[in-house]
Amino acid sequence: MKNIGNLKEFATTPDRFQGGHRLCPGCAHSIIVREVVNATEDDIVVSTATGCLEVCSSIYPYTSWDVSWLHIGFENAAAGISGAEAMYKALKRKGKLPVDKPAKFLAFGGDGGTYDIGFQSLSGAAERGHDFMYVCLDNEGYMNTGGQRSSATPVGAHTTTSPRGRISYGEKNWKKDLTMIMSHHGCPYVATAVPSKWKDLATKAAKGFDTEGPVFLNTLSPCTTEWKFDPADTIMISDLAVDSCVFPLYEIENGTKLTITYRPKNKIPVRDYLGAQGRFSHLFKKGNEHLIDAWQKHTDEYWEYLQRREEAGV
Amino acid sequence: MAEKYELKTKEVWDGNTAASHALRQAQVDVVAAYPITPSTPIVQNYSSYLADGYVDGEFVMVESEHSAMSACVGASAAGGRVATATSSQGYALMVEVLYQASGMRLPIVMTVVNRALASPLNIHGDHGDLYLGRDAGWIHLIANNPQEAYDMTLCAFKIAEDEDVRLPVTTNQDGFLVSHTAQIVEPLDDETAYKFVGDYKQKNPMLDFDHPVTYGAQTEEEWHFEHKARQHKALMDSPKVIEKVFAEFKELTGREYKLVESHNMEDAEVAIVAMGSNYETAKIAADEARKAGIKAGVVCPRSFRPFPIKEMAETLKNVKAIAALDRNCPMGTIGALHNEVAGAINAFGQNAIITGYIYGLGGRDTTVAHNLEVFKDLAMNAEAGKRVTPLQKFINLRGPELSFFKVGE
Amino acid sequence: MATPTERLENWDEFEIGAVLKSFDENGNYSRDHSKTYKVADWRVEKPVFNRDICIDCDMCWVACPDSCFIVEEVVNKRGKKQANIVGIDYDHCKGCAVCVEVCPTPIKSLLMFPEFEDNNNALANWPKKEKKDK
Ligand SMILES: Cc1ncc(C[n+]2csc(CCOP(=O)(O)OP(=O)(O)O)c2C)c(N)n1
Ligand code: SF4
Ligand code: SF4
Ligand code: SF4
Ligand SMILES: [Mg+2]
Repeated sequence: MKNIGNLKEFATTPDRFQGGHRLCPGCAHSIIVREVVNATEDDIVVSTATGCLEVCSSIYPYTSWDVSWLHIGFENAAAGISGAEAMYKALKRKGKLPVDKPAKFLAFGGDGGTYDIGFQSLSGAAERGHDFMYVCLDNEGYMNTGGQRSSATPVGAHTTTSPRGRISYGEKNWKKDLTMIMSHHGCPYVATAVPSKWKDLATKAAKGFDTEGPVFLNTLSPCTTEWKFDPADTIMISDLAVDSCVFPLYEIENGTKLTITYRPKNKIPVRDYLGAQGRFSHLFKKGNEHLIDAWQKHTDEYWEYLQRREEAGV
Repeated sequence: MAEKYELKTKEVWDGNTAASHALRQAQVDVVAAYPITPSTPIVQNYSSYLADGYVDGEFVMVESEHSAMSACVGASAAGGRVATATSSQGYALMVEVLYQASGMRLPIVMTVVNRALASPLNIHGDHGDLYLGRDAGWIHLIANNPQEAYDMTLCAFKIAEDEDVRLPVTTNQDGFLVSHTAQIVEPLDDETAYKFVGDYKQKNPMLDFDHPVTYGAQTEEEWHFEHKARQHKALMDSPKVIEKVFAEFKELTGREYKLVESHNMEDAEVAIVAMGSNYETAKIAADEARKAGIKAGVVCPRSFRPFPIKEMAETLKNVKAIAALDRNCPMGTIGALHNEVAGAINAFGQNAIITGYIYGLGGRDTTVAHNLEVFKDLAMNAEAGKRVTPLQKFINLRGPELSFFKVGE
Repeated sequence: MATPTERLENWDEFEIGAVLKSFDENGNYSRDHSKTYKVADWRVEKPVFNRDICIDCDMCWVACPDSCFIVEEVVNKRGKKQANIVGIDYDHCKGCAVCVEVCPTPIKSLLMFPEFEDNNNALANWPKKEKKDK
């Protein structure tokens, strides 16, 4: 397992995802991708579901990847990487690949490609126990196609298919708890992470690469374009998400051992997180106060639940 | 190393067994598959070969056909021999990924046991699935009996993986009529079969870590057309390789395959063109028709894609009337096989009278007598020197006669 | 999105399967790599880097979405390898200013300037007093 060390040391890692891609200025996807792929020195094969990362890193005739990379479709990043991993095992067994050089199998998918359309493929690959790590780049909507809702879109968020309107406050449902669902697949390691907590993220990625079997990392990826904040604020928004406990950082080993990996020194009110993003601006209008209260309650309860689980060692 | 499977020189195999032995003998590196009637036995047989040590590749029992083909794409791009099997609804679920496999030029082999598409649900044979994948950029080979199912599957690997082809290939056999009908099959022994197929030759494998490659890039309006045209050319050029592989296969086994198969065509005046098990039935009908004085012949394209346009026209150049039999409901036009054949003869300035028949949907019986009726229609058209029967008729359909474009209408 | 004209190829010229190769035969970035594609024209403002006050914390390196911070590996006093920032890759910088936001020095070691501003000028006029920059 790669020792992540301090940032000065980590920054000596030769990058394997490069510039010249077409992600928006300030996009968090590429920050996360670099923190993940730089967390191993082994060879990697990457598969990526259709979405912002995929499109923007492979517009013909250019690729932004220094490693072998595959995009098939929107709903099959996990199935695709499971096939590549199976081939790796078969060729090793048949003596057609060196046995001493380890290789890692990695998949990226947006929340749409992971929580929604690609969920079956991910569930199948995880259940079959392939040795791979799946990283969800959760920006809480279908951003590549113009910001439609997904099952990761949180309550009250304005999206183009759950728009705020004269009689609507935006998205009506709470976010699906995919990290827990993946943990219940029997994945030996699942975790949440955000780009601003680079060491937490890279350490989890390193652990994930080192774990045998299916690993799931759920990363929150603030989207400047659709969440409506200044591109310069990507890291700040990511910090607000964890400091308000809206997106708590934790890991679960073997489905039972839950550890909270980041505890904000001063837990900030959820409204600070919501207020920093245009997609929630209508929640601050008269008549919508109850939604901010509901958000706070929901967030506190979940944070409480995680702490209790951690205490109980389950 | 996989165990050698002792085979007799003559085995009694159905089409599924034949196809699964061919997969085993090709020492496929990764099979990713999902069961569906009538191709389920292929997946089951493969599982038991694995359980008994007769294969040493990976077998990925995925959660759907969509994932089966996706895992095949991932495995093939990684750089090894890949195969799967499916039918009908499973095939339909794969369609999105079929286009991706061929666009990436991945030599995946899929044995398809042809079955009708719902709704209404039906588990029996017709060519609905084959026609669904018609434009997906795959080579589609046709096997009309268990021996051919075996032979075509072995040939499929060699064709797909040829450096001048690098395209995925399906081998098609009729559900139940071929897949579940046991006949005598003469297999090759394991070693000879593998030697014929040969070692897999990698091209741009993802697992060559010193040479990373990107598969599945986005090409917009300034690139997409060129890529598709190039892929099309590979298909259009593939008959050369198909014929080369068939020639090698003949040398090895004595069994001869051609791009267009034919029966009694030397002096035929009327001909049925059909794919699948009805080719066999029509051959018997043609022999019967000859007893009744009709100079009948039968033609079958061995590959539906690439469609052997020139060879088809050549085979039909002396006939006066042709019936193209489509085992698929064209839903709003004339059958696809009809249109292929009509286009082929027209392109070479031939003017045989051509009519189309829809038959065998959902496993409906099509007998020698039915084919004989078709020959009689053809004889009428030939004698009149013009089309006197409807352009589209239905064989063995219950109810008042259904036909389209009756003469004079 | 348009491909530079000189990079366009005919249907019979490219690798089959739309496969792209990251490196050429010599192991250098190939012309298929986005390293050879410039996105500088996305930018209206550019970050300027002030080596004199930078403490090499590398926050900008980790946070830049476009992998723009050019580093030099050195061995520090304690014998550990570390990355020092030596410059910004202006071919790939899109001017998002994330790096400026995360830079922790009391007077920022990275500041945004109009694209046309000369870097030496910018450095000569770097703010002296501690104040909150953006
Ligand atoms: C089968 C299929 N359905 C729909 C689409 C259209 N589509 C492409 S990307 C996308 C949204 C991607 O959203 P997400 O996975 O969250 O990734 P993001 O772009 O937000 O990073 C959609 C709807 C598609 N490409 N394929
Ligand atoms: S829309 Fe959002 S996720 Fe997509 S590239 Fe832009 S910032 Fe990134
Ligand atoms: S402005 Fe943005 S793209 Fe440019 S160097 Fe700074 S972080 Fe990177
Ligand atoms: S963030 Fe600022 S201080 Fe840290 S390395 Fe970058 S420029 Fe230097
Ligand atoms: Mg998304």
